[in-house]
Amino acid sequence: MKNIIETKKLCKTFSNGGLQQHVLKNIDLEIREGDFTIIMGASGAGKSTLLYALSGMDRPTLGEISFCDKEITKLSPDELALFRRKNCGFVFQQTYLIDSMSVLDNVLCAGLLNNNDKKAVTAKAHDILSSVDIKEELWDKFPTQISGGEAQRVGIARALVNSPRMVFADEPTGALNSQTGKDVLDALTRFNNEGQSIVMVTHDITSARRGNRILYVKDGEIAGECDLGNYVSGDKERHEKLRDFLAKMGW
Amino acid sequence: MEKTKLLTASHFRKNKGTYVGLFLLMLLAAMLISSVLLLFIDVYPTVEREAERLNSGNGYLRFSKNINGIDDAALSRLMDGDVSGYEAYHCLCYSAVSVPFGDGNVVIDAQVTDSRVFDKKIARNEIILEDSSITGNYIYLPYQFYTSETRKLGDIYTMELMGRKYDLKVKGFFNTVYFGCNNAGTFEYIVDDATYRDIFARDGETMEGIVVTYALKDGVKQSKFIIRVCNELLSINADTIASSGTLDSAIRNRTFLSRIIAISFLAVSILVLIVIILMLVNSISNYVRENMQTIGALKAIGYTSGNIKASLLLMFGILAISGSILGVLLSYVLMPIVAKLVVIQMGVPYNISFNLLPSLGAFLFVVAYIMAVTALSVGKIRKIDPIIALKDGIKTHNFRKNRVRLDSSHFGLNTSLSFKTMFANMRQNVITFIVTGVIIFLCVIALLMYENFNRNPKLEMLTFEICSGVAAYDYEAKDEALEYLESRSDVSNIRRMIELYLYYNDEEKLRTYVYDDLSKLNNQDACYKGRLPKYDNEVAVSGKFAKEYGFKIGDEIRLDYGDENFSYLITGLIQTSNNNGKEAVLLEKGAEHLIDFTYVPAYFYFDCADRDVCAKILDDCTGKFGNHLISTINFWDIIEGSLTELKGLASLMLILVCSISAAVILLILYLLIKSFLYGKRKDYGICKAIGYTSNNLIFQTALSFMPPIILSVIVCGAASYFAANPYMNIMMSSFGIVKASFDIPIPGLLLIGAGIIVVSFLFAIFEARRIRKMEAYKILISE
Repeated sequence: MKNIIETKKLCKTFSNGGLQQHVLKNIDLEIREGDFTIIMGASGAGKSTLLYALSGMDRPTLGEISFCDKEITKLSPDELALFRRKNCGFVFQQTYLIDSMSVLDNVLCAGLLNNNDKKAVTAKAHDILSSVDIKEELWDKFPTQISGGEAQRVGIARALVNSPRMVFADEPTGALNSQTGKDVLDALTRFNNEGQSIVMVTHDITSARRGNRILYVKDGEIAGECDLGNYVSGDKERHEKLRDFLAKMGW
Repeated sequence: MEKTKLLTASHFRKNKGTYVGLFLLMLLAAMLISSVLLLFIDVYPTVEREAERLNSGNGYLRFSKNINGIDDAALSRLMDGDVSGYEAYHCLCYSAVSVPFGDGNVVIDAQVTDSRVFDKKIARNEIILEDSSITGNYIYLPYQFYTSETRKLGDIYTMELMGRKYDLKVKGFFNTVYFGCNNAGTFEYIVDDATYRDIFARDGETMEGIVVTYALKDGVKQSKFIIRVCNELLSINADTIASSGTLDSAIRNRTFLSRIIAISFLAVSILVLIVIILMLVNSISNYVRENMQTIGALKAIGYTSGNIKASLLLMFGILAISGSILGVLLSYVLMPIVAKLVVIQMGVPYNISFNLLPSLGAFLFVVAYIMAVTALSVGKIRKIDPIIALKDGIKTHNFRKNRVRLDSSHFGLNTSLSFKTMFANMRQNVITFIVTGVIIFLCVIALLMYENFNRNPKLEMLTFEICSGVAAYDYEAKDEALEYLESRSDVSNIRRMIELYLYYNDEEKLRTYVYDDLSKLNNQDACYKGRLPKYDNEVAVSGKFAKEYGFKIGDEIRLDYGDENFSYLITGLIQTSNNNGKEAVLLEKGAEHLIDFTYVPAYFYFDCADRDVCAKILDDCTGKFGNHLISTINFWDIIEGSLTELKGLASLMLILVCSISAAVILLILYLLIKSFLYGKRKDYGICKAIGYTSNNLIFQTALSFMPPIILSVIVCGAASYFAANPYMNIMMSSFGIVKASFDIPIPGLLLIGAGIIVVSFLFAIFEARRIRKMEAYKILISE
């Protein structure tokens, strides 16, 4: 499969009061189209930093990132915003819906960025909201009027409304209970099965099982990777394989 | 106390920009209030102090035209009983002389005398500036000629009296109580003895007069004294013209401008104080919202509500104290600019110096005001429960409507999002609407003043009748002169007028305009209620006089002139800013009940095409009638001079009000946008993450502030257009103007409205540029 993202010698260093912390160290990486890539690692290993660097939300200190063969590290902030608009969808741990907008408007405010055809975008938003099981009666509600799981699924709908090349998910189930977390993962898995490329950061083994490729980050480096193959519900062998891999990584 | 100081420092560090903005508002308020108090407590009383220093007495009487029989013994009899002291001197009295003043000429009575008047004891004349090297052919001018920059020492001053020009060198400027202000109606000129003798030899026979300055005994009513003297004068010499002035009116004439400026400053101060309330309440409310968890943590570790409230009171107290001190100091930078304008009219020496009372008053007022508003606003901190606060408050939804739905909005995405933002911030909209509304009102008033006092002077507000020129003839020539004027094709709308002083009830003097035909008046607006007289038994009186004595239209009023009196029916009320608002209008046939017009001179008011045509007409009149022509006035020549101070005032007010308004609106936008950006930083982070560019967000933010501004400009602009004249009525009612009909140029109003909108939008864009520095990643990981 074709690579969507490639990095070369990717480094990220934070400075704080003269002290330098190297969070990412010379990472060379490829993310393939159609994959459900999972980034795992201990707290502070650099998973989220890597995710946000790959998505063009944060800038690396050194190194290169090419997204669909386009170098993005040298883009200006506004060029990066345009790049994200066209190519990326984001699902955050805390959902980050805009409180002053209704559910539908939260999705449309992303969708209409790329397409001025209100009718078409609205129809697509309706489809996606339905596909993540957000019922029509919730569309006019505000984020504070719906549950956390519903809000996260609205977040997924927002991330997908522009049909991005890649969805970046940062611990999307981290703030949810197990059932609502499962609903969110089901939704992501379903979209991946339909061809959507996803990169997801998680430290939850249940969530990680949904991916077909696991990258393990340790001390700012890719310490190892594991190819799990496509997710099949109740596949014990797959679960064992992941468990062994994580054990080997020191999880 | 240590805890409070720590908290205070922490508050300030967190929101420096907002507090600096509030500090500037407090500074502005203190500066304006200190200036208002300085005008009332320091500038205004300067005229009174000077009058007292010059031993002003209570007023003056002037006898002119024919003073036969008015010798020392007659004067002594006239003054006997009512005065504690008086002093008389002879001079030459000219009426309606066009003299250079300010940027042009003014028509005023002139009193020419010599250096003897420097020896006077009552209402002394005091030399303020003098060039002693000038020894002959010189003149001393009233100090107002110096403050108005009409002349400097050593300049040549050309005085034209009875058609003869005298070129005299300015030897000095002097301070005088009654004859040193153009508003007072008379200028006194002190010339060298040789020049005086020369003028006296030429004009003394017809122009010699006597001026008496006097101090009344306690309990003597001045109006009754003047009326008694005038009546007794008739038995001495019925041809003598008596005129008078009082100390009160002399002071009022010199402080007209300072009172207008003080009232205008007060209006702007009130605006700033309103803005301070809005901003203080808003910033304390924002503080509580943004620091909910901190407040919870502080309460949890043992800080009381009192500690937290005290820290806010301490911080705003420090801001108020430092802002007020600096504001008061800055008022001493502003005041010299204002004083320069005010002194033109005061015509007395005035130097701004530190005055404790107004400075302390302004300081204490602003500090107390800020502390009171803060104390009331911080009350809500007591109600915050620490547990709930630690959870960042209970986030509830207010079930507002989903306005501007993106799926059905007719606007583009960015515009729709701007409107969404706007509807989500009603408090901010209300503040913006109110502040913009007050500002546009002040700007309309400043525009009105500039238009009507400077650009296209509304002369009818300053004088009863407006015309192109006036030619005054003695009684022998008046009929022939009328025929001559009527025969000229370049003269139109001739109306005959004389002025009389009529008395009401032995205590009130009314300056009365007597016209042959009132329907010819250009200024029909002078009568603001009822109508001007049509029949011989009718009179129109000034509104201020009617109000003071309880007269209404339809009432009868008995007016006296010498021994004659007649009861007239009041048909209308007129407005005037002259003669302390005490004037009346009669038809000639009405005045004939009191006076025989046979031997009375006539003033012919006429209209013509322009200044040059008027000059030609008046030259021809001079050539044809010679000594029978008493005086001529070319109105175009005197407009500039008459409006010198008012023009300066109008320009100052326009500049001051517009700059303060611009500063306030920008400051408000700065504070609102800053707090808005802080409150919405998470949303900006989300929007940036999903692909909104900084430019999209900057535009949305700036645009979200515009609807209340645009709405306010339209609604309050239209309301101000209609409210400005009623407001001016109230403002000017104490000057005698009851029904102001000032013009407000619509293009100017549109320009101001558009200016406010454009400047606000550009500034909002400029302020919102901070969004560019917001990084989605940093914002989202910090949440």
